[in-house]
Amino acid sequence: MSAKCTKSFSLIIFLFLLSFLVFSEEHNKTERARLLFYNPESNINNFVSLKISYDSYLSKFGDYRFQPFNKKELFEKAVLDNKDGVYLLSSWHFYFLRDMIDLQPILVGVLKGRSTQKKILTVKNNITDIAQLKGKTIACSGSAQYTRNILKEVLGGNNVSLLKTFKLILVPKDIDALMAVSFGMASAALTTERSLDNLAKINYKQYQSLKPLMASRQHYLALAALSPTTNKTTGEIIDILEKMGIHPEGETRLSMLGLDGWRRLSRQEQRLLKQPGIHGL
Amino acid sequence: MMKKAIFKMIKSDTLSVNQLIVSGLLCFLLQIIAYPLQAKEQSDLVIVNSDLSIKKYALTQQLFEANYKSPVTVINLADYSQKKASYLIKKNKSKTIYAIGSKAYLLSQQVAENKNIVFSSIINWQRLTVTKHSYGVAQELPTAMQLTMFRYLFPEIKRVGVLYSKQYNKEWLLDAIEAAKNVGIGLIAKDVDSKRDLSSAIAGLLPTVDVLWLIADPVVLANKAAVNDIFKQTKNRQKPVFTYSQSLLDLGAVLVISADLPTISGQVSALVDELNRNKITITEQVYKPAGSHIILNMKQLKKYPIKLNKEALGSVNQIIE
Repeated sequence: MSAKCTKSFSLIIFLFLLSFLVFSEEHNKTERARLLFYNPESNINNFVSLKISYDSYLSKFGDYRFQPFNKKELFEKAVLDNKDGVYLLSSWHFYFLRDMIDLQPILVGVLKGRSTQKKILTVKNNITDIAQLKGKTIACSGSAQYTRNILKEVLGGNNVSLLKTFKLILVPKDIDALMAVSFGMASAALTTERSLDNLAKINYKQYQSLKPLMASRQHYLALAALSPTTNKTTGEIIDILEKMGIHPEGETRLSMLGLDGWRRLSRQEQRLLKQPGIHGL
Repeated sequence: MMKKAIFKMIKSDTLSVNQLIVSGLLCFLLQIIAYPLQAKEQSDLVIVNSDLSIKKYALTQQLFEANYKSPVTVINLADYSQKKASYLIKKNKSKTIYAIGSKAYLLSQQVAENKNIVFSSIINWQRLTVTKHSYGVAQELPTAMQLTMFRYLFPEIKRVGVLYSKQYNKEWLLDAIEAAKNVGIGLIAKDVDSKRDLSSAIAGLLPTVDVLWLIADPVVLANKAAVNDIFKQTKNRQKPVFTYSQSLLDLGAVLVISADLPTISGQVSALVDELNRNKITITEQVYKPAGSHIILNMKQLKKYPIKLNKEALGSVNQIIE
């Protein structure tokens, strides 16, 4: 009898502990919010460094996790499946996703006081006309799809037929793309205006051998957006991101994304971003 | 129908002259029908890999195959005797050979001298014979590219020290001095003749420079003791080391800049594609790598008094914290 009692008692204790563990796990799941990241504008696949760096930073504020993605399709699936995440994505990608899911853009990245950028098609000085680039190699630091889209915009209606003749060489970063033109590995580079300015500062001789041929419209830098359903933790992540630029540790991590701060988008800017058919400023 | 006819003939014990003629014609027809199928199975490219068990060669092949969408035949030299490998390369009907590593390049050139050979993963390709059929992507980044990155990451460095041997890097040094001037860096070099010289050369060089740039020079990096001596002295003198190889990170290197392998694979893939389509717009037989891979050791960097341009962190591929 007493043995039976002991067994029953042990079973009750075991079930109690089990339910406690399950509850804790469930509790953790609801509390643990994720910051999902994908950037088609860069081929620097520093995901391990990003993950370690951001996880250690976010952990100072709560149970938050950073999840970088290297494939557009996987990121999009995660966005569509995830009901309460915070997403860091390029504005170009946001334009694509807005037809699929009602994301709320909240913050925009800032670099040296600016939150927009132009893409420049840079060539060697001896190229005077875009037609001279027919069949040539273009160096770029973004994904092939992103680059072709921006090139389409840069070329405009009259020259768009050139696009299919271009061969792309994907390099990790803008400065590589510019140097690929200088050293003859490519005939043109598609980079941000800021990267061209940086080259002027660090290697003026190389900069002088190049010239900007065409430019895109202004585009927002990276955006931080929320899924349609938000909760307390997603709001907290937005607050943490917004203040990153004022903490030295946060600033270093922002630099890894090519930013030095975030700012809130105005209602008008949010409306503009969500307006169908608008692809840039 | 043809199948039935052939089957009927096979079943019959004797063949008449007419039947022999018909069977000959049928065989000929079958060959014509089957030819496109055979041709389709034949790949346009054979990859000759020096040794797939070596990580960098395996990774190079893997990255290439991810870029190159057409079928390929692979010959891993480590799997065969030289005689057998030569036979396989010679027998292969592919238009182009992609040789990974110098062993693969040398053998391919020896047995298939009239085929286009594209190479990669060869250190100092200039030491090899390059014919009109040789193409490739070098393993070494342009010196100016590395110096531009030094300047971008560390805008305040003024003097960079280099240990080199006249035997291997005399001409390289002249180029490097010129390239350094363009980015506002003074390159201060000490030549090393032998192991005996090394210690005093480092001791003489370090007080005059902000950082030491450790290049791939077989006289300088003659052995483990020499490498250890370099790192010991730089630590004592509080001078960070910039270099080209990840293997030196454990010893305390602060910055490693090397060629980006995925970019090289993309370049090789484009080269092969052009050669196979006979649509040659290739401007150079051997291209320089177009992308750089940067590793920054923040743990080590904190020990030295040099200032990092935080904005440049966006261009770093790997940060060690």
